[in-house]
Amino acid sequence: MLLTLDLNDARPLHEQVAGAIRRAIGEGSYAPGDRLPPARDLAQALGINPNTVLRALRDLRDEGLLEFRRGRGVSVAGPATGAVAGRALLVQRARELLEEARRYGYGRDDLITILEELP
Amino acid sequence: MNPRVTAAAWGLLVTAVQIGLPLAVRGRLPEPMATHWGVGNRPDGSMPFTRYVLIETLFWVLPWVTALAVAGTGRALEHRQGRIAWWGGLFGLGVFAAGLNVSTVLANLGAAHWTQARLTAPHPLVVVAAACAAGALAAYLGRGEPDVLPAGHREPPLLRLRPGERAVWVGHVTNPWLALITLVAAGGLVVLGALSLVGVAGGQVAAAVLPALVIMLAVGLLTSSASVRAGGDHVVIRLGPLRVPVRRIPLAKIESAWAEDRYPSQVGGWGVRGLPGGATIMLRGGQCLVIAYRSGGRLAISVDDAARGASLVNALIAERVQS
Repeated sequence: MLLTLDLNDARPLHEQVAGAIRRAIGEGSYAPGDRLPPARDLAQALGINPNTVLRALRDLRDEGLLEFRRGRGVSVAGPATGAVAGRALLVQRARELLEEARRYGYGRDDLITILEELP
Repeated sequence: MNPRVTAAAWGLLVTAVQIGLPLAVRGRLPEPMATHWGVGNRPDGSMPFTRYVLIETLFWVLPWVTALAVAGTGRALEHRQGRIAWWGGLFGLGVFAAGLNVSTVLANLGAAHWTQARLTAPHPLVVVAAACAAGALAAYLGRGEPDVLPAGHREPPLLRLRPGERAVWVGHVTNPWLALITLVAAGGLVVLGALSLVGVAGGQVAAAVLPALVIMLAVGLLTSSASVRAGGDHVVIRLGPLRVPVRRIPLAKIESAWAEDRYPSQVGGWGVRGLPGGATIMLRGGQCLVIAYRSGGRLAISVDDAARGASLVNALIAERVQS
């Protein structure tokens, strides 16, 4: 699982980690049903508290991207298609787009207008 | 030289020795035969003739049939490491099995009773030395051509790192069978401890099963899972659920990395296989991360998502070279 964190990102750490995991799944390296590396390994690799990683994983479970199974660890949820991963990636890209829009002073509605103007 | 034909002919030859030799001199062997010698070469174990022939034949036939089956899959002999393990094992074990049989029969030859069967001292040493020599020679003759580099290595996967970004890759792999063995061994030790506290299990029972359980537990703790991490300036490999032992490889020592499919049949089984400079940490067949050292050596480890890990390793190396 390839995780990238932006060092200049001001968002809370668990949101950044959730975003990184969303991206990693969206890139297609983990298919539905595949098990993620253990949270303690992810935390150790990122040099952060395991609880932060667990919080990010719980957020993603609540989104329906991951599922927790007793004794099986954390795995990618969803049907045996790339639809879930694709959606996760789109959600992640949309979040990033919204962040960027806000930096230029545009809000959510402005962004929706821009999207509607597209053919 | 077709390996399967050679292996079949060699196997039949050894099987003929295993069955034919005891039968040929059956009239001069005691019943039962001495089959085990203790300290000072005094016989301390015996077996009826039929059971002896059956056991020493199976001792050879089972590994031989396994070797033929492994060669039948066709994957085992694709790599030099696999060929060396296969040929060395086949001929080494064949000479070992036949040697045990010959020295046992010679010791029993002409003895009136099994307790009088005398094993001359150098016999076991000669058998082991001959087996090692035969295995080494067969491995050398059967090693074949050096491996061609996989297509992946000619164009190692690359990844673009953006500035101001920290990237790490975490790969993990668990072998459920090995994990199960570990659990069974741990459970067995707990049960044994409880029974001996209560006083049900005697010291003899404990002494019989304790070493096996401890070895199973140790092997399981070392090889049931692995976690590989690339980032910063190291590739770190941690083995087992306890994450020890740890192997840290500085990126400065790595030339490149790529992903490759390898199987236990190619590297000679599960666990840490091969020799330093060409070792594979094999937990399950399939995708492996291969690290090529600047010194020319290689290390492979079976891990999920290896291609992405390799791309990050290469990107980090490129970045370091540029800066």
